[in-house]
Amino acid sequence: MNENATLDLLYVFAFFLGGLSFALGPFVIVYLLSPRSTRSTRGQTRQFIECGVPPIGDAWIKFGVVYYLYALMFVAFAVDILFLFPVALVYNRPGPAGDLRAFVEILIFVAILSLVILYAWKKGVFRWQRKTFSNR
Amino acid sequence: MTIDSELLRLLLYVVGFIAFIATNAAYLVWLERKEAGHIQCRIGPKEVGPFGLLQPVADGLKLMTKQLIIPKGADSFLFRLGPVLVMTPAVMCFVTIPYSDTIVARNLDVGLLAIFAFASVNVLGLLLGAWGSRNKYAVISAARVVSQNVAYEIPMLIVIVTMVMVTGTMNLHEVVTSQNGGFWHWNIFRFSASPLMPVAFLIYFVCMLAETNRAPFDMAEAESELVAGAFTEYPGMGFGVFFMGEYANIVVGTSMATILFLGGWNCPFGLWPGLHWFLIKMYALIFTVIWIRWTFPRTTFYSLLNLSWKVLIPVAFANLILTSALLKVL
Repeated sequence: MNENATLDLLYVFAFFLGGLSFALGPFVIVYLLSPRSTRSTRGQTRQFIECGVPPIGDAWIKFGVVYYLYALMFVAFAVDILFLFPVALVYNRPGPAGDLRAFVEILIFVAILSLVILYAWKKGVFRWQRKTFSNR
Repeated sequence: MTIDSELLRLLLYVVGFIAFIATNAAYLVWLERKEAGHIQCRIGPKEVGPFGLLQPVADGLKLMTKQLIIPKGADSFLFRLGPVLVMTPAVMCFVTIPYSDTIVARNLDVGLLAIFAFASVNVLGLLLGAWGSRNKYAVISAARVVSQNVAYEIPMLIVIVTMVMVTGTMNLHEVVTSQNGGFWHWNIFRFSASPLMPVAFLIYFVCMLAETNRAPFDMAEAESELVAGAFTEYPGMGFGVFFMGEYANIVVGTSMATILFLGGWNCPFGLWPGLHWFLIKMYALIFTVIWIRWTFPRTTFYSLLNLSWKVLIPVAFANLILTSALLKVL
């Protein structure tokens, strides 16, 4: 690894440490300045803030499946866009005139990718309804 | 350059950028309240200091003296990890943002990719913090935030890929120098690459609003529906760090818009380029972000997701294809 790459990593790491201290520093200050317990909060600090009354049921429950479908589509896209980055980086370099191979390849790639949206659209993922699945 | 001077430079940049972020976070809150006040025919903060200019200091002192509380049943580790995961990547983004020809901490060759990689961690912090607080409103908000952020990351990244294709580099310094000269050289007006460039800018801007959870896409903190969404259980400084992280992310987003589309530190008429032009463009964009927040109502959740999947992504793809066609064919 040459000197430049080492310095790059050093800078990123230094900013990581800086960010970490900027995120944790306020908590340290608060820990030093704030009251441990006051009369009005004594014995009540472990309560939920939510509207002041105890909530009914647990918050850690199952989600609507709709969110899950969106997430699945995202995974397909995110990986594919990562593949597009190196292609885009060298795309505009001068090549032989009239060479359309790179363009056709991108066209095919994006066309296949677009099928994901069309499929999801047809399957009704974008219709925001309650999806019920019975075990008939 | 010796090792000592390099380390000193490194230290100065880290401290300087953190000071920049902190000042911005403090005074953007002031700007937001002032602007909101005037838009709603109020005055805004005016009691503490002249024009309320010391209000952020008072707010900061108030946040610092509030008790740290972790609610019962919450996952205390995730609860504390949430704000840190929002703040740290936001600071890391500044490692390679060039504010002028000389003011840049480190000119990374993969700068563009690095910034969007760091910025995407933000959603993880909101998700873990909200899930860790074990509050129903927070958990609903977490689900919304994740699906919103993943939906808007895609059109944003497609626009970025298009810009990489046009400029042929991911080095932010080179991206800006390729737009040297008057405003007709800026990427937003580079019609030779694609006639849809202003649309690409618009897509980027909308996605940036959604990624930083600003109204009309503030599903993370939908006050009228979800109390305070992901931040419901966060008292005092936990909330404060989330807020500073949000403003730091806005600064990163508008800086990237300035670099990618508005010519960075270049003057519109080719005269006196420098830091001041960058800051003028950046703060004009931030002003617009706040302006939008206080003039548009929040969208419903499904129309927000459908806007991304049905409109923004197809248009961004069309722009990508058009750009690649014009670059190769013409």
